[in-house]
Amino acid sequence: MIATLPAGIWRREAAAELKRSWRLPQFLLPTVLTPAAFYALFTLAINQSPSPAAAAASLAGYGVFAAIGPALFGFGAGVAMEREQGLIELKRVSPLPAGAFVAAKLVAAVAAVAAAVGLIYCVAILAGVRLSVGQWLVLALLHFAATLPFGLIGLGIGMRMSGKGAVAVANALFLGSAMVGGLWIPSTMLPAWMRAVGEFAPSYHLGQVARGIVGADTIGSLPLHGAIVVAMTMAAAVWAWTGWRRNPA
Amino acid sequence: MQVDLSTIATLTDVSKSLGSTPVLDRFSLAIRAGEVTALLGPNGAGKTTTVGLLTGRLQPDAGTARLFGLDPTRPAARMRMGVMLQTAGLPDVLSVTEVVTLQSGYYADPRPVAETLAIASLTDLAQRRCGALSGGQARRVQYALAICGRPALLVLDEPTAAMDRASRQALWATVRAAADDGTAVLLTSHDLEEADALADRVLVMNHGRIVADDSPANLRARAGGSVIRCRTALAPAMLQALPAVRAAGNEGGDQRIVTADAVATVRALCAADPSLSQLRIADAALEDAIATLLAPADQRNAA
Repeated sequence: MIATLPAGIWRREAAAELKRSWRLPQFLLPTVLTPAAFYALFTLAINQSPSPAAAAASLAGYGVFAAIGPALFGFGAGVAMEREQGLIELKRVSPLPAGAFVAAKLVAAVAAVAAAVGLIYCVAILAGVRLSVGQWLVLALLHFAATLPFGLIGLGIGMRMSGKGAVAVANALFLGSAMVGGLWIPSTMLPAWMRAVGEFAPSYHLGQVARGIVGADTIGSLPLHGAIVVAMTMAAAVWAWTGWRRNPA
Repeated sequence: MQVDLSTIATLTDVSKSLGSTPVLDRFSLAIRAGEVTALLGPNGAGKTTTVGLLTGRLQPDAGTARLFGLDPTRPAARMRMGVMLQTAGLPDVLSVTEVVTLQSGYYADPRPVAETLAIASLTDLAQRRCGALSGGQARRVQYALAICGRPALLVLDEPTAAMDRASRQALWATVRAAADDGTAVLLTSHDLEEADALADRVLVMNHGRIVADDSPANLRARAGGSVIRCRTALAPAMLQALPAVRAAGNEGGDQRIVTADAVATVRALCAADPSLSQLRIADAALEDAIATLLAPADQRNAA
């Protein structure tokens, strides 16, 4: 007779993952603080009191940037290092479902994203950005949701690469996707080739939807950007799943 | 002791390649309840792959793996199995109690955490973070994780590697106690003393095949001979050609010769090498029996 899986197995795994992240602040702190620091520096300090509308448009992109860091590093580099330490092997021979493992990582990543995004929102409010409650909620939802595609991309990297390799790739994707996605400098001001590359990055399409939410100018149809994000997320899920399946540890 | 010979884990006609290297080819194996089975063999024999297939970490390319009647890659199949892997790590920032509590939560009817810690001699280390444990202490935590769910099958991959002698003896005693309670144990080891001390059944693997499946006592009897140690100028190939020799090889500065008939071998050895010195003769141990089993296969392979 085979017993069913115990209740609460998903919740307890997530709680343990949050505890681990909390006790490893040196790992997450840079990815939590960097986006707010960049936002304060490049949008507010250099421009010297930009209009609230410009600060809001910039906030839309920097919020996506804030979600990419914890997602790529927590999943990509984190998973690769855990694999090297034999931690994933331990989970894989236990009755813990793979879904509970991934969900726990996602919860920890979203918690870090909430901290990073919350920090940026505080800076934005101090700089005079005013949005309706509905706009704040939808914007926050989008910024949290941005964790998913980048988390799945990270998981696929983490299951395929060494710890050092994954850190390097996560760094390159973190900065690269922010650049070509128009999260720092609006896409309309980017060179044509960068915009062309950006079309292939979820960051660009997420950034456009975010700009739409705060009422900034956008390129192209927002529903189409949304559909492309969904399609890219599904492709990332396949990439993550095949990485999980093909790697014995 | 509960004697139940029903099969709890099987590989049937399994083939598995890692990369382009075939490791197992139409390989079959059954682990029976109430037995301690030791899986022995040289590196590359396929032991790790066999354990990987039974524990659901690997999927067979062909054939079937079954654990309690289910596909081992399904989490539910692993509910009644506890695994102690040689290469598995522990999360550095969680304490021993936290790790054992988390793992216990994966199972339907776990032991109380305090009891698990006591069995694995970890009570005094309960609050210590895993990152601050010695190698031997970390192995004991791995053992605790393997037994916390009251498994019906305990898989131990090189369980006492990195342990000192006292910890090793203590672990053997707890494994024996678990086996006496009816837990099936699958043990891989390089340490033949460990297999001899624990196993009811020894499976010797070489080149992806089982070359022997018997009790340790029967295997020793099958070797049925003696071990000669000596200093000699003769090359191992020449030693193997001497009468009654089953296997020969270097051991430290000595030559070690397993023979079915010590008198015949020694007589020929003395005649062939006048400079022979430090001659000693002893009864064959399990190690010698296995060396004998492996030697012909290796020679065939080299030829």
